[in-house]
Amino acid sequence: MTVTVTPQTFQFVHFDAALIQRVAESLTAALGLDRPVAIEVDETTPLARIAVELGDTVTIRAESGAFEDTRRPRHQSEDATAAALGRVLLRSRDRLRGGFGEAPADDDLSLAQVAAWETYCVGRLERIGLPVNRQRWKYNFRNRHGFNDVADLAFDRLWTSDGLTWGELDEISRSASAS
Amino acid sequence: MRKFFPVEELARDSRFNQVTMRDRMADPRSALVKDEPRQKSNRLVPSRPDASAAARGLMHGIFVGEIQALEGAGRTCHDFRTAGDSARRAQDDSHGEDSFADTVPFALKLDMARQAWDEARHVEISVKLSDWMGSEIGEFAENTVLFQAACSTDPILRLAGVNRALEGLAIDVFTTMKEFGDLAGDPYLEFCEDWMLADEVTHVKMGSDWLRRVTEHDPDRRKKALEFQSVVDKLFSYGGTRSDSQESPIGLARRFRELAGFTDDEVEDIAEVSLAALEERKASVARMQATAREFAAS
Repeated sequence: MTVTVTPQTFQFVHFDAALIQRVAESLTAALGLDRPVAIEVDETTPLARIAVELGDTVTIRAESGAFEDTRRPRHQSEDATAAALGRVLLRSRDRLRGGFGEAPADDDLSLAQVAAWETYCVGRLERIGLPVNRQRWKYNFRNRHGFNDVADLAFDRLWTSDGLTWGELDEISRSASAS
Repeated sequence: MRKFFPVEELARDSRFNQVTMRDRMADPRSALVKDEPRQKSNRLVPSRPDASAAARGLMHGIFVGEIQALEGAGRTCHDFRTAGDSARRAQDDSHGEDSFADTVPFALKLDMARQAWDEARHVEISVKLSDWMGSEIGEFAENTVLFQAACSTDPILRLAGVNRALEGLAIDVFTTMKEFGDLAGDPYLEFCEDWMLADEVTHVKMGSDWLRRVTEHDPDRRKKALEFQSVVDKLFSYGGTRSDSQESPIGLARRFRELAGFTDDEVEDIAEVSLAALEERKASVARMQATAREFAAS
C-alpha cells in the first residue's frame, strides 16, 4: 500500500521524510493494513500527540515530538517513529477489522481506555520485533488504573493478548480501575 | 587536584547527550504558541493526556540535575580554601594560583560536604525512580545549565546561583512531582519526592544563611550575589517552564520557599522574573516560527 509523507522537507526539525515513509511501509506490510496511508507531520510543536482519521485512506497527523529522539532534540529517532506509527496503525487495524465497532471515537476515549488500548497495541508491537520499554507502558497503565496488583495483572493480560474485542479490552480496563 | 572545572569536561559516559541552554532556546518549536488553546493548563498533573511521558522526562531532568548539584557542591568544597589553611595556601602558591585569595569559613565547606552527600543520595533515588517509571539513564538530553551556575569564582555568587536559585527551582520541581505522585496514587514517587524536598529546603536555607553571614559587612558583594541569583533564576525559569502561570508545567512553591528563607519580596521577584521569561519565550518562538514560515513560503 502507498504511504505519503508531508512535508517532504522540514524547516523546524532535522527529520527525514523518506525514513518516515520507509518505517510506515514496513509496518503496514507487517500488520497487513490494506489501505493507503498519509502521514502529516506538524513540525511547529515539540508535543507528541498523534491522531488518526479512517477513510479510504488512513490519515495520520503527528506532532514532531512523536518521532523525536529525546536524547537529541529536533532530531528524528527511528525507534520512536516506528513505535508511534505502530500504535496508531494497530489501533486503525483494530477498528477496520471489526470487533471494535462499539469503541468510542478517539477523542471520546477516556484516559484509562487510551492507556489500556495503548498497552494492547505496544504488547503486540513487541511481539513483531519492535524495541519497546515494557516498564514505561506499565507505568503509564498504572497512572490510569492504579498502583496495585490488580492493575498489574490487567496490564499483563492486555500486553500478552491478541485478538481482543473492544468489549473485552474495555472490561479489563474497567475491572482494573474499579479495584 | 584541579580547581574550577569547566562544564564542557564533566565526566559522562556514552549514554549521555549534553545540550546547552543556547541549544534549547534555538528550538523554534513551541507548545505555547498556537492559534487555539490545546488544554486549559500545562501544569504537570496526572489528568494531562501526556502525563506519564512528561513525568518521565521531568524525572530524568531531576536525575541529571542532581548529578550536577553533586558536582557543584563537591567543587565548592574543594575550590576555595578556608581562612588560615596555610598548607592549602602553600599548595595554591606553588601552582601559581594565588588569585584564589578568597577564603570561606570551614563551616560553609562542611555544609557543602553535607549537601554533596545529600545530592549523591538524591542521584541514587532518582535512578531508582526513573527505573520505576520506565526510563533509561541518558534517555533524555542533559541540559548543563545547572552546573554552569556552579562555575563562579566567587563562592558567594556560587551559593546565590546554586543554593538559592538552583535549589530553589528544585523546591518548585519536587513540590510539583510530589503532588503528581500523590494525585496519581504512586506511593514511591510521592514518598521519595517528599524526602528530597525536605533536603532541598535545607540546602536553600544554607545558601540564604551563608549569603547573609559572609556578606554582612560587604553590601556591594551581597548586591552582586543577589543580582547573579536573579540572572540564574531567570535562566532556570527555562523560558516559562516554571512560573505561577498555568501555562507553565511547574508552579512556584511559595510556602516551601518561605520555609527555606526567601522573603515575600524575593518570592514576588522570582514570580515576576519567571513570568517575564515565559512571555519572552513566547515572543521569541513566535518570531522564529514566522521567520521559518516566510522561508518555507519563499
